[in-house]
Amino acid sequence: MSTTKEKYKKVAYYPGCALEGTGHSYNRSTKAVGKALGLDLVEVKNWNCCGAMEVKNIDPKIQTYLSSRVMSTAANEMDMDVVMAPCNGCYHNLKKAEYDLKNDEESVEVVDRLSKKAGHKTYEAGQVETIHALDWIKDSIGEEGLKARVKNSLEGIKVANYYGCMYTRPRHIFPEKDQGPGSESTSKPHFMDDLLAAAGAENVDFPLKTACCGGAHTLSDSDMSTKLVLNILRAAKMSGAEVIATECPTCHSGLEMHQIRAEKNFGEKVDIKILYFTQLLGIALGLKQKKVGVHENVSD
Amino acid sequence: MPIHEKSLIRPEDIKTHDELVLDGVDVSGHWSTFIESRVVDDYNENLQDEIAALPGGENIHRCWQCGSCTNACTVNAINEDFNPRYWIYLIRMGYQSELLRDKDIIWQCVSCNKCTYACPRDVFPEGVMKATSHWLEKKGHTPKSPSMHFDEVFTEQIVKTGKIEESRTIRRFFARTGQGLMQPWMVEMVKRMLKGLPVGLLTRMGLATLIAPKTNDWSKASAAIQEYIDEQNEKHDKALSLAELVETAKQDVAA
Repeated sequence: MSTTKEKYKKVAYYPGCALEGTGHSYNRSTKAVGKALGLDLVEVKNWNCCGAMEVKNIDPKIQTYLSSRVMSTAANEMDMDVVMAPCNGCYHNLKKAEYDLKNDEESVEVVDRLSKKAGHKTYEAGQVETIHALDWIKDSIGEEGLKARVKNSLEGIKVANYYGCMYTRPRHIFPEKDQGPGSESTSKPHFMDDLLAAAGAENVDFPLKTACCGGAHTLSDSDMSTKLVLNILRAAKMSGAEVIATECPTCHSGLEMHQIRAEKNFGEKVDIKILYFTQLLGIALGLKQKKVGVHENVSD
Repeated sequence: MPIHEKSLIRPEDIKTHDELVLDGVDVSGHWSTFIESRVVDDYNENLQDEIAALPGGENIHRCWQCGSCTNACTVNAINEDFNPRYWIYLIRMGYQSELLRDKDIIWQCVSCNKCTYACPRDVFPEGVMKATSHWLEKKGHTPKSPSMHFDEVFTEQIVKTGKIEESRTIRRFFARTGQGLMQPWMVEMVKRMLKGLPVGLLTRMGLATLIAPKTNDWSKASAAIQEYIDEQNEKHDKALSLAELVETAKQDVAA
């Protein structure tokens, strides 16, 4: 299926906090790839944190409010109908807020109350569609469109595509997934595989695509995170991959950090390169490595 | 796939007799069928209601005990004592003393939501794990977990500024949990990170730690969020009868 969605060609861009910090090279490469593909990104004005993985543990409805404020700005102040978030955490939280505001009256009531007190319009379910950077490129340019633009094929590069937890779980907040041919799968996601294959890379058969990297406890239970990351790194290596492609700043920095921690604290060196999928796509589109921030990554 | 969750009989409950003959049969030594008899008289009949009153625990009553959550669990694969199905069972039974045996590991749930994905009854076991660790902390059975400290440091920063600046969050977390920031692996990572970076980016990162990014005109939102958090805390403390708990403790000390 190769129907492209015109409305994805100009979207509200929600980078989120991580992309201004440890995920800077993801931010940079996402923008560079968008530019190279002729896609228009308009950053959400004066955005706030979506609540990440932490605020819901203090109170889930605060997280719903925080995410709704971002969508409210995009819809009511910028008149946009699509919000694109490259970070799995942001993407997940906006989707979750959308689901809750559609299905849970109490969430609607709390969000309305807080929005009024904060002095902005209340976000109403359905005002915007939240998509991931993967949807954005896959559905606006498509594999054929990408193939036609590749200047520097990734041929010969063996890639393990790692999607993590927040992109697929829980299933109910992603109603557009698992809808048959052409749609994304929550058990065996393939959008990143599709895009990188179109760019010429060889995707290895990688069983831990949606395994957990322990990102939520990367500092509060570091040994657990290191063990979980080691599983992923080892499996990628055993699958014959030279590179792990990521699409989430928390997963990415988790894999990088705990690869080093495994080496320092557990004495196990796996030594695998970790790149954002947008960095790989950028290189395939003929952009310089520096332009997509490869030098900002830790693994080499 | 059937999984082995845990042994039903604990080694410390098994009776051994140096010499024992029953009906002419020698049963000396180690017999797993001879276990210490026990009487459970400390059921907490409010346990399920208390967990259900905390965010995430609302659907615990729906559980059918199929075990899909434990089977899917990321942490269970590393530590087989981490057993969401069993804890949900204990909570629904009100079997508090048994739940407390695992009190120090329940917070280790990594929120991967594999359980929620697998659950056929929409129990949201991930939420139940969070509600249970909050319950343990609120009731004073465990100190605040490192995870809870992290969540608090993180949320405080968002309530205050609207955004997160990661290095500040990390420094505050290490300070609050009394850990040194310069752990060898952290130093190694920073070293490797810095080697490829141009001066311009380093300067900007340095500035970000001094001038934390923030959302403009955030004060009204900040106040509204804080008010809601306080209101919810009060509601939860009431549902868990914390005031009475403190009163009883005071009387115990006085007596």
